[in-house]
Amino acid sequence: MTYSPPSPASKGGCRAASPARSSFLGSRAAGVSMALALTGGVGMACCQWLIYAYAPLEIEMGLVQKIFYSHLPLAWIGMLSFLAVFLGSVAWLWSRKPFWDELANSAAEIGVLFTGLALITGAVWAKKAWGVWWAWEPRLTTALVMWFMYAGYLILRGLGLPENRRAVAQAVLGIAAFLDVPLVFLATRLQRARHPVGIMSSGDGLEPEMRLTIYACLLCAALFWLALLMLRCRLGLGERRAMALARRREEA
Amino acid sequence: MIRFSLVLAAKDLWLLLRGGAAFAQALLLGLLLIFLFSLAASGEEAVGGSGAAVIFWLASAFCQTLIFTALYAVEEGQGQRLGLLLAPVPVQALWLGKALAGLAVLALLQLVFLIALAVFLGRSPEAFPIQGGAMLALADIGIAASGSLLGALARGRGARESLCSILLFPLLIPLLLGAVRVSSMVLAEAPNPALTAALGGEIRSWMELAAAFDAIFLAAALVLFPFVYGEEG
Repeated sequence: MTYSPPSPASKGGCRAASPARSSFLGSRAAGVSMALALTGGVGMACCQWLIYAYAPLEIEMGLVQKIFYSHLPLAWIGMLSFLAVFLGSVAWLWSRKPFWDELANSAAEIGVLFTGLALITGAVWAKKAWGVWWAWEPRLTTALVMWFMYAGYLILRGLGLPENRRAVAQAVLGIAAFLDVPLVFLATRLQRARHPVGIMSSGDGLEPEMRLTIYACLLCAALFWLALLMLRCRLGLGERRAMALARRREEA
Repeated sequence: MIRFSLVLAAKDLWLLLRGGAAFAQALLLGLLLIFLFSLAASGEEAVGGSGAAVIFWLASAFCQTLIFTALYAVEEGQGQRLGLLLAPVPVQALWLGKALAGLAVLALLQLVFLIALAVFLGRSPEAFPIQGGAMLALADIGIAASGSLLGALARGRGARESLCSILLFPLLIPLLLGAVRVSSMVLAEAPNPALTAALGGEIRSWMELAAAFDAIFLAAALVLFPFVYGEEG
């Protein structure tokens, strides 16, 4: 295999989001994202009743255990976001469609936010459960390392690199970072293990009411995440469209 | 392809070692780190095996950042990168050449750091010499593979060293964890026979993890490098 010149798509940088081609900017997609946001938002509000009135109080942890209902969805959705970054990065390198680049960037922003919140809620939990704010434990450490990796990913966006180079760099990092995640987890597990293993698995000791509550929280958080992702993606594509129009006006 | 990579690596090594400030800069930085830690430890208890291992790998990681940014800076001017790309070899040969050059420089620096550890911290390899050497090789291969890939990402940037560190250090965590853990056993006093078997098992686990890291990042670099280096921008 020898070097071949870049394809026309890569030569001109990312293709500008064409308003005509991007159905994601249409009113139908706007309606779907609004409906998802509304359902997820109202659902999350209703979940507060499940958390504080329906689910029983945990004997050892007391009220602090209620953090679990926010912490778990935040952590899982954060991971889901990073999976979306990986898939978006692969798809962008393959197709060079700006949608995938925007999807990966939007997912990274939301993933960093959600993982950051999961780390904070986890620290509060750890203080009550283990007596320390932070413990070098596989899942915590993996989450923190991922947060660092994807924060670096977001920094790349703000460096003012040429558009195509920026997108390539982010896509490569998005793939490399996701490939690294299992290794980080294994490495920290070899180091030590402390986290309550097996939550949401059989024999985790969860009461049926607690299980139902956490399922509801997960579902609503996932809907809300999907809405956020769509809205952020639409915003990014709209921004590209505006920039392309501004450039066209300057040229004319 | 291999021949081209070796020629490229030899050229880069020649440029880096002959007159380049990058090698001296990396060497000085590593030695300074070891010296500063030894100053901090002076008057207190002697630095243990794990402390010495952390210092050694910290110095290696920082030096690696300097090395790979310097290696990619070599072809930044006068369209030399395009010249390399026009060579009738796969683009991956460039990645391999840079990785080999980086690996050689890193090994050279680490040799000096080991001597510095013995001089300043009084720590030298005491146990598990074969496993320690194998882990050092595995860790260096992983560092070179990922460094050569991500060093290319940072090329042409004003703050390329800091950018490279931000991108690379979190990725290297599993590898560095293993390298530090195994090195701490190597640099600590020789364990009693009963403990040797247990520690040997742990070292094997870390080596397997390091081998997995190497395999993943060698494969990823081969696939991703043409996107990073082969395109315009």
